[in-house]
Amino acid sequence: MFSDLSAQREGSSLLCRPASEDQGPVFERTSLDYSPRTERYRVGERSFNRQYAHIYAARLMEMRPLLSERAKHKWGKNVHIRKLCDLETGEQCCIVGTLFKRMDLQPSILKEISEEHNLLPQPARNKYITEADELILEDELQRIKLEGKIDRDKCVTGSVIAIFGAEKNDGKFTVEDFCMADLPSQTPRPTLSCDKFVLLASGLGLGSSKADSMLGLQLLVDMVTGQLGDAGEQSGAATISRVLLAGNLLSQSTQDKDASTKAKYLTKKTQAGSVEAIRLLDELLLQLVASVPVDVMPGQYDPTNYTLPQQPLHRCMFPLSSVYPTLQLVSNPYEANIDGVRFLGTSGQNVCDIKKYSSMDSHLEILEETLRLRHLAPTAPDTLGCYPFYQRDPFMLEECPHVYFSGNAPVFESKLIRGSDGQEVLLVTVPDFSSTQTACLVNLRTLRCEPAFFSAFSADEDEESEMNISH
Amino acid sequence: MDELYLDNIDEYVNDHNKIVTYKWLSLTLGVHVNTAKQMLYHYLEHKRKESSPQLHATYLVSGKLEDKGQMCHKVSVVREDQLEDFKSKMSLIVSVHVYSVQKALLKDSGPLYSVDYDAIKDNLKNCSRYSAIRCARAVPMSAAELQQVQEIQRAPPSAPENKKSAMNGDANIASKPSSKPQKGIMGMFANKSAPKNQDNSKDVKPEPKEESPVPEAPKTKPAAKSSPMANFFGKKPEKPVEKQQEAQLAIASEQQHQRTTAEEPAAVQLHKETKADSGSKTKRMEESDSEEEKMEKKKRRRIKKPQPDSSDEDVIPDSPPQMKTSEPSPKKEPETVQHSHMSSGTKIRRRRKVLKSRTFKDEEGCIVTEKDYVSESYSETEDDFQSTKQAPRNNNKAKPTSSSKDDDKKTQKKSSASSNKGSKQASIMGFFQKK
Repeated sequence: MFSDLSAQREGSSLLCRPASEDQGPVFERTSLDYSPRTERYRVGERSFNRQYAHIYAARLMEMRPLLSERAKHKWGKNVHIRKLCDLETGEQCCIVGTLFKRMDLQPSILKEISEEHNLLPQPARNKYITEADELILEDELQRIKLEGKIDRDKCVTGSVIAIFGAEKNDGKFTVEDFCMADLPSQTPRPTLSCDKFVLLASGLGLGSSKADSMLGLQLLVDMVTGQLGDAGEQSGAATISRVLLAGNLLSQSTQDKDASTKAKYLTKKTQAGSVEAIRLLDELLLQLVASVPVDVMPGQYDPTNYTLPQQPLHRCMFPLSSVYPTLQLVSNPYEANIDGVRFLGTSGQNVCDIKKYSSMDSHLEILEETLRLRHLAPTAPDTLGCYPFYQRDPFMLEECPHVYFSGNAPVFESKLIRGSDGQEVLLVTVPDFSSTQTACLVNLRTLRCEPAFFSAFSADEDEESEMNISH
Repeated sequence: MDELYLDNIDEYVNDHNKIVTYKWLSLTLGVHVNTAKQMLYHYLEHKRKESSPQLHATYLVSGKLEDKGQMCHKVSVVREDQLEDFKSKMSLIVSVHVYSVQKALLKDSGPLYSVDYDAIKDNLKNCSRYSAIRCARAVPMSAAELQQVQEIQRAPPSAPENKKSAMNGDANIASKPSSKPQKGIMGMFANKSAPKNQDNSKDVKPEPKEESPVPEAPKTKPAAKSSPMANFFGKKPEKPVEKQQEAQLAIASEQQHQRTTAEEPAAVQLHKETKADSGSKTKRMEESDSEEEKMEKKKRRRIKKPQPDSSDEDVIPDSPPQMKTSEPSPKKEPETVQHSHMSSGTKIRRRRKVLKSRTFKDEEGCIVTEKDYVSESYSETEDDFQSTKQAPRNNNKAKPTSSSKDDDKKTQKKSSASSNKGSKQASIMGFFQKK
């Protein structure tokens, strides 16, 4: 663990007089091989002339052979895999298609603006699922209603699965069993000789009206850049070879909705909230990049496009820090090979969206579910904004990552799961720093993750200490 | 080690009533952070022995904490009175050191942050100089490297653009570039071969995009050169890119020649294009473009270009013809950086190189005379047009007294341009030709 590492080093305590002419120890930051995989999530010129049907078609086309394999593996080689148009009533067979969950509470712009419904705009809810939801399976040509042994509340629209059952007389398909594409194949990661850490943090929340977390953030930066702590800790911090900021660098309060509705003459001299926040971010990044390679992913409240995949923040916003080659502005979702360990993750929008449309509450559980579905964001483009891709669906997982993370979770959670073919994946939900003051340290050698908690003291002393323990 | 720092700290704490954090001290005194921490401790001890006015300190404690079964690494800033309490709660203590010293008792750790923030703000460049970790790769890039990075960033996004536009086939209304005409255009520029008479309607729009993904340096230059022509059909932003690219890469003379010769057939072809009827919007734009508009576009584009280029001279935002004229010998003069361009964009048919000397005022107000080969157009009308352009150029640099004259010249230029387009008569501007 990180702490153990730091404590093991010999360093004299700093509670002493300064030694004469001693400059102080200087440690070298451990470097590592880094190769980003940016092409997948880059959208060059955008054209919104297309319908979204193409993504679903591409998704189904790619997943169908994988699912047929899995189906044969699970239910025997002789299982009939039928297309919906070839279904015969009463015959036990397997069908492969995309799930669609019809939810009454799902916000629909057509319903909102329709006059016959006379609906007022609905407030945002926590969950949009009800008891009356229906599951439907669609393939290239047809769709059929599902019922039976399938947990309707756990499923989300857009997941491609294989279902085993039979069609009954009433035109519905009775599900006896189902299976997902499960984890893709994984290239084994190389064994590392020494401990190397990657720091994951998200939800820095700069530019917010309350600045409680700023000292915590400063402590984080100081620790990583080797200013904090004594020699032992500093040498431990030198093993942090990369920092990954997973989205929401700016706080939600910088998204000023009023600006668009207010009259122009009132807003003429006012600056957008994000301008100051980006300047703060630039200064923060400058401190970091002068000492460690940093990857910056955009998030929901950051100044980049709304639809997934979010393109990297533009370097012109970071005049001070973009001079350093250690600053990498990357897309959301993000995939990279860090010293042979494959990292894949998002800033959390996909997980939050699934949380709204299913009964699952734990970000970690949802993360695992997306991995098993072999798709980063199954709800895109239905309820999650997405670019209308044409011949490919870049959110499908083609290769299994070693570390799979999602940012801006309410709490820190991590789990190591194993796949059927010996894959080993570390799932990490990176907590929101502005509220939890916690970042994650992933050890590349052992593939374990440890939270790092930064705190300061405030006027309510007793409450503070309570909070520290029970976080 | 001299004990001066004790007095320094004393001064800051007592006299200025500041909160002295280790980071602030390290940046102010220029010492390693660990030394600063030790200095603060020493000072604290020293003062406590002397039992001087009460000082308060905050400490930094970091260690391992067991929390709900999960081991976590905890780093916190605590007040002196909370120190022992915190230490006892941790299962493993990694480090403890003085964080700050101040006269007043701090209720809230907010001010600590602002002190550090101010310290860093004042020393943005060296915030890592006194830290304990050095990163070999964290060296600021030089300006040249930066520009390279910018280039790379601009080039790849256009490559996926191409593929995207290709894939947009069914639903997209915009024309699809086929690979053959693409090769044809590139072949035209790279091999100086005879221009193929292809239907360039499709190529016009994707042309600038297609040019940039070509990775080879020699190809990018002719590509960049040709895109000025394509630029006429609306792609203004491409220009600064190309200009930058050209500015950076060493311009070999062969390539220049290649450029000029390439441009000629391209010019010829474009000219034909403009005559031919086509359905694409870009073509329509082309046709509606008068020469003056193109000249103005060139002028505007050129003004954009100087911004990234710091070694700018006034010559650059000068009138368009300079581009044309000084093209062949850019390497000789620094201001030839501007020449990327097109000069040929217009309907100039033929050119010849003429040794001319031009006089102009640069930004410091000095009059500079230069001799260079100027590619002048051959035909009669063009000659006049060319000369009219040159005349206003020479006058442009004249100081305020002739500003009105400039305006006159400009309007005259415009009118002459439009008139030139229409009729092939010798214009009145012939009067102002030879100075």
